[in-house]
Amino acid sequence: MRIRLALPTVAVSLISCSGIQTGLSPVGDQARSQYFLLMLSLAVCSVMFVLVTSFLLFSLFRRRLDGGDHEVLPDRSLHRSLWVWSAIIVGALLVLAGASFWVDRSFALAQNSETLQVRVTAHQWWWRIAYRNPVTGDWIETANELHLPVDRTTRIELGSADVIHSFWVPNVAGKMDVIPGHANAIDLTPRQLGWFRGQCAEFCGAQHARMAFDVKIETSNDFDRWLRTQAEPVRPPIDAVEARGMEIVTTGACAMCHVLRGTSAAGRAGPDLTHVGSRRTLAAGTLPMNRGNLEGWIAQPQALKPGTMMPAISLGPSDADAVAHYLEHLQ
Amino acid sequence: MRQPSAVQQHQRRLLSWAALLLATCACTKESRTLGPEQPQTPPAGASDPRSAYFEGNAFQISQGGRYFGWYGCAQCHNDHATGATDLPGRLQANPLTFARVYDAIAHHPGTSPQISKQIPVQQLWQIAAYVRSLPALEPELRRRQDLDMSGEPQGKNWSGPVR
Repeated sequence: MRIRLALPTVAVSLISCSGIQTGLSPVGDQARSQYFLLMLSLAVCSVMFVLVTSFLLFSLFRRRLDGGDHEVLPDRSLHRSLWVWSAIIVGALLVLAGASFWVDRSFALAQNSETLQVRVTAHQWWWRIAYRNPVTGDWIETANELHLPVDRTTRIELGSADVIHSFWVPNVAGKMDVIPGHANAIDLTPRQLGWFRGQCAEFCGAQHARMAFDVKIETSNDFDRWLRTQAEPVRPPIDAVEARGMEIVTTGACAMCHVLRGTSAAGRAGPDLTHVGSRRTLAAGTLPMNRGNLEGWIAQPQALKPGTMMPAISLGPSDADAVAHYLEHLQ
Repeated sequence: MRQPSAVQQHQRRLLSWAALLLATCACTKESRTLGPEQPQTPPAGASDPRSAYFEGNAFQISQGGRYFGWYGCAQCHNDHATGATDLPGRLQANPLTFARVYDAIAHHPGTSPQISKQIPVQQLWQIAAYVRSLPALEPELRRRQDLDMSGEPQGKNWSGPVR
């Protein structure tokens, strides 16, 4: 019976130990420091728990072990053991306080190499992400997908366009609140290549749960190549269907809120769509990026993400297909 | 235990009703259905029952105010507007029905393509509700609304997050 209960418990506790959105498998310097802090407090607390519990049990069974029903005399060793206990408690607290102070200060230290500067603005319910163009110094905008070069510190400057949000990529670093009217920043130093997931960690309204973003940690060369592509204006349509799609996007309702750099679509309220097809997911991590999902999202966003600011756009079947076909290929 | 007297019972009942009322007040002012059931057609004349809902709902009105900024309406129709662009003044002098206001926005002169081709129907409903609410909106309330929206774009200009 005991084994039958214990097995699922162990299994459940192991589920969260690896994955793309967990602080328990850290791949960044900041997340590793916090993981160390977590393990240290777990160790200190476990030792204290075992000590306290064993002494409690000992005191319960002490008289039975003595075998006597005799009167208990005042315990002289009690005074000495009080001092020992106090020393243990103070020591353990000092270890915890010292370690957390040291980890906290290490986050605030100036980086010894130049950091990459990225601006992230939280909106209800998506992320506007802007990189500095290394050639011209302009800001290159994208959305809901953060690319980070490995082994280099990126400083994320956080801003909010509406309410309080919180920026969190658990595998790389801890949370940082995004507060309107207040400039916050957080450093990310990833050490391992791969795809990870970030998530808004402060309740911000109806679609807080679907306010996620993908994080790609890549080599410096791959990162530079990606940034060069993102800096380019929109790619021209290559066939008649794409041309029709582009016409609808740049002259219809889409252009009121979305930017396609190099066309007349210059609305600023929604995510930049210049390279939307290159992203991994759609609508801030809600759906995988593909033509079917694009078409569904445009036709009825309120059914997929109720409350989203994206309105339903009614298009005929061939027009909807043309728009999705066009957007899908905006690499 | 002593049984509560009739008066005490009455008091308790009153108190629980008061608590219940307190918990639900202001809930109806913003109540809305999330999901695909948004209006897909313009108002059908002055007696369209949807108008009353949009006009009386604080969420729909404030959302309309948001789009009023996003779509650049506020660039001309602002606090300093006079004459034809002074919406509160004009609506005060000459109140229009919801359907007429909606129609005037959808067929706004001087925009190409027409606004009804650029702004989806569900948002036009909200913008019309906001415009209808303008004569009753006090300057102080409008100032606060502008403050709330300072992180959002005004037409094609976005000046960055709230600073």
